[in-house]
Amino acid sequence: MSICGMAWRNIWRSKRRSVVTIAAMTFALFLLVLYSGMIEGYLDGMERDVLDLEVGDVQVFAQGYRDDPSIYRCIDRPDELCERIGLPASARLLAGGLAAAEHSSAGVMLRGLDSARDAAVSRISERLQAGRWLDPAAAREVVIGRRLAKNLGVGPGAEIVLLSQAADGSLANDLFTVRGVLMGISDLTDRRAVYMNEADFRELMVLPRGAHQIIVRRSEEISLEEAARRVRAARAQGVALEVLSWRELMPTIASMLDSARAVIYVIFFVVYIAVGILILNAMLMAVFERIREFGVLKAIGVGPGRVFGLILVESAMQAAVAIVLGLALATPAAWYLAEYGIDVGTLGGLSVVGVAMRPVWFGSYSPETVAGPVLTLLLMVGLAVLYPGLKAAWIRPVQAMRHQ
Amino acid sequence: METIIELEGVTKVYRQGAVEVEALRGLDLVCEKGEFTAVCGPSGSGKTTALNLIGALDRISSGAIRLEGRDLTRLGRRELSGLRRDRIGFVFQAYNLIPVLTAYENAEMVLALQGVQAAKRRDKVMGILRDVGLAELADRRPDQLSGGQQQRVAIARAIAADPAVVLADEPTANVDSETADRLLGIMEKLNRERGVTFLFSTHDPRVMERARRLVRLVDGRVAGDERRQG
Repeated sequence: MSICGMAWRNIWRSKRRSVVTIAAMTFALFLLVLYSGMIEGYLDGMERDVLDLEVGDVQVFAQGYRDDPSIYRCIDRPDELCERIGLPASARLLAGGLAAAEHSSAGVMLRGLDSARDAAVSRISERLQAGRWLDPAAAREVVIGRRLAKNLGVGPGAEIVLLSQAADGSLANDLFTVRGVLMGISDLTDRRAVYMNEADFRELMVLPRGAHQIIVRRSEEISLEEAARRVRAARAQGVALEVLSWRELMPTIASMLDSARAVIYVIFFVVYIAVGILILNAMLMAVFERIREFGVLKAIGVGPGRVFGLILVESAMQAAVAIVLGLALATPAAWYLAEYGIDVGTLGGLSVVGVAMRPVWFGSYSPETVAGPVLTLLLMVGLAVLYPGLKAAWIRPVQAMRHQ
Repeated sequence: METIIELEGVTKVYRQGAVEVEALRGLDLVCEKGEFTAVCGPSGSGKTTALNLIGALDRISSGAIRLEGRDLTRLGRRELSGLRRDRIGFVFQAYNLIPVLTAYENAEMVLALQGVQAAKRRDKVMGILRDVGLAELADRRPDQLSGGQQQRVAIARAIAADPAVVLADEPTANVDSETADRLLGIMEKLNRERGVTFLFSTHDPRVMERARRLVRLVDGRVAGDERRQG
């Protein structure tokens, strides 16, 4: 009889206890796979939104622009730089201004872009609450943030006046039609963003050349550091440009994402501590009920290692059954949540560290979201079995056999 | 004759709280290969303690104890474990079979621990189970066997690995007279035909009658040592 065969039979000696132990492990694993998937899905979604809708992976600015965002601090020949970078890149024009509707006005951030090129670096055109995205053929049309639309009391088809100081020192002002209103993106974008075609921006601001910002994206295979390195390498010699990764541009969000992922593991441990106590209790009972038997095993020459191994294998087998059952239950549920998500539309407007929550909260189901809960469960089982296992392994045979 | 067991001035002191209890007070005993010896004496005389010490289940407080010339006090836990597996067979009063294993698996266990090949194990264990009259019940678990049958499985387990000595602690205490006679008959036969050395701890008169050597313990010392013709 192998140690595994013996362990398996031992498990079913006390069916009720084993079933309760396995059920607790199964339930905990089921919950944590879903929890891990939902949190990972949320964090992934947030990271994707930050990158896809706002900052991209890497940004380029003229030296000093971020400290003093003057319309005159431009990146010279941005199209040539985009070509040299060799990654999807798009230049944007930025300026502060004022938007006025019939009864109200608000400070705005004007963002001029080439909508065809910008689609390669941003998916903001897909996140419209009302109306349509910019069309290069349609002049003097804008897409605005949803809070701005609300504050101005406008919607698609309405007209707003945009005012600013043009690059030539004149007063820039013109009438624009609201073509679309964005969904919740971020606090800043929601309250202040006005997207317009590059040509309209240049005409309004009298800025025929240059750009204020280049947004660069990378593929999965290229690391963030490598992408930033490539962008730096693409700068023309002697041209002072600032190249920053999204982690440098948004350190609060970057560190929140990192710490939130670490918190997941803390939650795993907290939930599993309860399961660990149950396993510890079950294994202590299983060991002390059979202490005479371990004494006999030792008397007939079974070494301490084998005795410990037997107890470890018994727990590992229960954990294995729980893992199979837990994953069998969690897989369809996690798949559903990853595919269809949870409607959190009622939380519309809620934002976390300035990033708006998506109306549908999608989960994630990947080797990572499964491996964490499974490995933590195995670790907890290993820890819980340590004391009873060592106790049985090191007890003197005569002492064990005297045990009542 | 070849000496199997040697005890020289062995003492064993147990501590029960602040009280020290002397279970053995300088026990001297020598057993030779092929003996069929019973250690008897009143309760508390140290019979079981002596067997536990000889079986390397416990450690002596002072004196010397040797099994086949090996000083047990010099062996570590692992070596003692190996010694019990390879050189000592145990038969306990309460049978002490492993409940999840069949009769065959219980009897086979020590051989499996020794790494003997499955086919060889099967031949040997089935042969022994036939000798003890249990070949037909090899697939039964302990809870499906009577007390006498369980004790026969324990005997089969004890002798399966050809130990230097089988230590039997009150082997007939939990069985009826008829079964006790049968068990003793089996052990006598194994002693006679296979040359297995048996050392009993007992206060059962039937065992004392059939032993070829009777060692009487009183207060942890040998008070009498009687050898009989077999």
